[in-house]
Amino acid sequence: MTDQIIQTIRELREYAVDKGCDVTLSYHEEDSYLMRFANSAISLNSNEHLIRLEISVYSDRRRASYEMITDLRHLDEIKFGIDTAVEMVQHAQPLTYEPTIPTYAADFIDESGYDASLAGISNDEKLKYFNQAVAGLETEHLKLSGIFASGTNIVCNINTRSEHVQYFSTTDAQVSIVLAHATLKWEVIAEQSAQKKADLNTATLHRDLSWLIEHYQRDPSQQIPTGTYDIVFGAAAISSLLSVMNWIGFNGGSMKRDSSFIAEDKVGHKVFSEKFTLIDDPTRLETFPFKKDLMGLDRQPFPIFEKGVFKSFIWSQDDADEFGAQPTGHTVSHNSLVLGGSDHDVSTLEALAKMPRKRDVLYIPFLHYLNIVNLSKGVITASSRFGALLLKKDGSIVIPFNVRVTQSLLDIFGDKVDWISKAAVVYNTSSSYGSRNPTALVVPAFMQINDLAISQSNTSY
Amino acid sequence: MQNLIQENIEKLQAAGATYVDARWYPFERSDSLMMLNGNLKNASSSRESGIGVRVLYEGAWGFSASSDMGVMGAIFDKALDNAKAAAQRVSFPVRLAEKEAIQAAFESPCQINPFEVSQSEKVAFLKEMDKKMNQSGVLQRYGGLNFVQKKIFYIDSEGSHIEKLITEVFARIHVSGLDEQRVCHERKFYPQRLGESRGWETIDRAIFSENAERIVRELNEVLAAPECPKENRAVILLPGIMYLQTHETIGHALELDRILGYELAYAGGSFVTLNDFGMLQYGSPKLTARADATMVNSPGSFGYDDDGVAAQDNLLIDKGILVGAITGRQMVEEANATKPIFKGSGGANRATSFYRVPIERMTNINIDPGADGTLDNIISKTEKGIILDGVKSWSIGSNREQFHFAPEIGWLVDGGKVTGVVKNPTYMGDTVKFWNSLSMVGDRSTWQVQFVDSCGKGQPNQLMQLGHGVPVCRFDDVRIGE
Repeated sequence: MTDQIIQTIRELREYAVDKGCDVTLSYHEEDSYLMRFANSAISLNSNEHLIRLEISVYSDRRRASYEMITDLRHLDEIKFGIDTAVEMVQHAQPLTYEPTIPTYAADFIDESGYDASLAGISNDEKLKYFNQAVAGLETEHLKLSGIFASGTNIVCNINTRSEHVQYFSTTDAQVSIVLAHATLKWEVIAEQSAQKKADLNTATLHRDLSWLIEHYQRDPSQQIPTGTYDIVFGAAAISSLLSVMNWIGFNGGSMKRDSSFIAEDKVGHKVFSEKFTLIDDPTRLETFPFKKDLMGLDRQPFPIFEKGVFKSFIWSQDDADEFGAQPTGHTVSHNSLVLGGSDHDVSTLEALAKMPRKRDVLYIPFLHYLNIVNLSKGVITASSRFGALLLKKDGSIVIPFNVRVTQSLLDIFGDKVDWISKAAVVYNTSSSYGSRNPTALVVPAFMQINDLAISQSNTSY
Repeated sequence: MQNLIQENIEKLQAAGATYVDARWYPFERSDSLMMLNGNLKNASSSRESGIGVRVLYEGAWGFSASSDMGVMGAIFDKALDNAKAAAQRVSFPVRLAEKEAIQAAFESPCQINPFEVSQSEKVAFLKEMDKKMNQSGVLQRYGGLNFVQKKIFYIDSEGSHIEKLITEVFARIHVSGLDEQRVCHERKFYPQRLGESRGWETIDRAIFSENAERIVRELNEVLAAPECPKENRAVILLPGIMYLQTHETIGHALELDRILGYELAYAGGSFVTLNDFGMLQYGSPKLTARADATMVNSPGSFGYDDDGVAAQDNLLIDKGILVGAITGRQMVEEANATKPIFKGSGGANRATSFYRVPIERMTNINIDPGADGTLDNIISKTEKGIILDGVKSWSIGSNREQFHFAPEIGWLVDGGKVTGVVKNPTYMGDTVKFWNSLSMVGDRSTWQVQFVDSCGKGQPNQLMQLGHGVPVCRFDDVRIGE
C-alpha cells in the first residue's frame, strides 16, 4: 500500500511539474472507526474510509489551495484538482512576503507509529474491552457512555521542487468511559490513549471508575462556597490548560499579532514556576509525532520552558516568512508537548486522597468548555466536570457540585504551583472535526496549585 | 445511481435490516478566502463526494461512509455489520417516530451563485474592507468569506426520495488593537440576515462599509475606556450577543439527545428533564422561543432533515413555560416511552456531511419580539444597566446550567441614559434564574437574524450551520465584570 501511494503521488507530481508552478501535494488517508456508547448501549457504530488530497500552488508570491475528498483510482479527478488550484493562484493576491516552498532532500518514510494489531482491532474486541472496563459497575441508575475511537492515519507529502516524499503512518485509539447517574446527573470518567494495541489496559480504567463511584455514592455532596482553594488538577485539565498555550502562549505568529500573553522580550526570563518544564518532544511515539515538519525540517526535542524560564517561541514556516524569524520545525498539524514531572510521588486517585494535607484541597480532573476571556493576560474560564472531589484536611471526602475557574495561566502555572507529580499520563486530545489528526500530550497525573479562585459554584449536580 | 442505492437498501432489508437510509452527495464544494492585514493568507477550495449509509438492525444503529462510490455494495454491507455488532449491547431498542413517505425537492433561495462569482471580485471585496479598516488604533484587520454548496440525495427504506441543493454564504470582518496596558481588544461584524435569499447577493458592500467604520470607531472607544465595574446591573443584550445566549442556554439545553443522555461522553447533558415539559418556568412570561426551520434566509432552514422529515416551526418556550424540544425521530420515540410528550419528530436531525450520522441539531432558535419598544425605549427605562454586544468568549456548564460570557464592548446606562463605554465586560449567571430575570423584550425594530456557521457537537465531531432571530432583551440583577 505504501509503495502504491508513493508511486501515485509521484505520478501526480509529474503532472504538476508540467504546469510550470510550484506545487505541493499532501495526501491524507484515514480509516476511522468509532463505537459510541450511551445509556448503557452502543448508540452508534460507525466507520469512514476517506482519502483527501490538498494541493497548494505558489506563483510570484501568490498562493492558493484546493482540497478534495477523492480516491486514488480517480486520477483524472485529481488532475482536475491540480488544474483548478493552478487556475486559482492566477487570481490570488500577492503576499507582502515571499513564501518559502518546501524542498525535501531525501525520502523520509516513518511507519514507527503504526501498529497492525490496533489497526485491525475488531468490533468484538472493542466491545469486550468496554465490558471489562465497567464490569460490575453499571446499575439501573448508573449508565454507561463513552467512545472507543480508533483508526489509521497516512500522510504523504511531495512537491515539485524534488521527487522525494515524506510519508508517515500511525495508528491511534482514544477511549473515554463515562458512568453517569441517570437522575442525580453526576458523572465520572476514565480515559486512555493508545498508539498500539498493547497500550490498552482495562484494569486501570476499572480501578479509577470503581474508586470514584464508591465515593460518589457514599460521600456527602454539596455546593461549595466561592473563594480561593488549593486545587489539584488532573491530567485532562492540565492538558486543556497546556493546549490553549499552543495558540496564545508560545506561538511566534500569535505573539507578533498581539494574540499572546507572552511578550517577545520574555525569552530568557522566568515566566512560570521553576517546577514548570515544557518541551515539544517528537521522539515520544505516544504523542503521534511528526519527526519532520511539512517543510522537511528535522524535528528534535525543543525546549519551550525550562524550570519556568521561557526558552523560545515556536515558528511555523509561514509565520517565520511573514515576520522575518527562523522557522523552528513547527509547520506541523500538532505538537508533541511533554510537561515534565517533579518529585511528588502520587500516581493514583486513591493515593491522592490519602495524602496528608494541612488545608482542604479541591480536585478538578477535567475542565469543560475552556475559553479565553482575555488573551493578553492569559485569562481562561472553564467549569469542572467528571469527578471533582473536595479532599478535606481531616481525610474525609466531599463531592462538590461543579465549579467555574476563571484565572490567568500566569497564575495557574506561576508561583502558585505547589507540586507536580512524578507519575506521567499520556492524555489523548484528538478531535474528529475535519481529517483524522491524532494528538496527545504527556502530562503529570496531578498538579497542585494553591490559592486559585472559584468564581461560580453550582447549586446541584 | 439512485437505482443502485435503492437496490442496496432492499438488499439490506432482505438481510434483516429494519430500516436503511442513504445520503449520497454528488458534490459538496466550498470556497474560503481569508485576508489578514492586507495579505490574502488563505484562498482555498474544496470538493468532496460520497455516500453515508445508516442501518437499523435489531434496534441498533450501524453507519458506514466512503468517498469511493465504486464499492457501494461494500459500504452498505459494512453499515449492516456495524449495526450487528452494536446489537450486542442494546438497552432501549431504537424505534423511529412515524412519518410520511416523501418525494420532494428543496433548494435554498439563491439569486447569485457564489461559485459563479469571480475570485477577483471576491478578493476586491476583501481588499476594499481591509482598506476601510486600516485606520488609527487598528493593529489587526481580518476579512473572511466562506461559501458552501451541497447537493444531497436522501433515500430511505420507507419510500422517501428527497433531493436538496443548499447554498450558503458567510462573511465577516474583524478589527483588533491594543490598549495602553497592551491588552488586546476586538470588534467584529457579522451581518444580520436580510431579504429572502442566501446567495452572493446577501453581501451588501454599503452595509459592510458602514459597519467597518463602526467597528473601528467602537474599537477605539474600547481602547480608551475604563474597566467594566464588578457589580450587579441590568444587562441589555444586543442581537450580537443575544444570539449566543439563546444558542448556548436555550438551544443546546433543549436538544432532546442531550436531555436523554446521548451526549454525556462529550458535549454534555442538560439540566432539563422529561418531567419539566409543560411545567418548568424556564423564563419570565416575556420569553417565547421557537425552533423555526421555515425561515427562508437562514442556514437553519433546510427543507427536510436527514431523517426525511419536513422542516417545521415549533414552540419551545411559551410565555416562559417549557413546552418543546429540538427533536428527531429516534429521540421522540424514546422520550415518549417514558412520558408521552412529543407528537412526532420536530424535523431537526441533521448531519454535517455524507460521512457523519445525523443527530439533533438546532434549526433557527428564535426569540419572539416583545412589546417593550425600541432599544432607546429600553435604555430610557433602565436605571442602572449595561448594554453589551459582540462575542469575545463564552463558556457554559456541561448541563447548560450556568454560563460565563465576555462580550466585546459594554456601554454603561445610568438614570436611563448611556453614560460611557467600558472595556473587558463580562457577565455570568445560572440559566433558569437568568431567563426568569428577563424584564424587557424589544419590538420588531430590534429583532435580527444572526448566523452560526460552526456549531460543534457529536462524536465523531460535526460542525453545523444555523441561525437565531433575536430581539434586544434586558435581564435584571446580573453579575458583571468578573
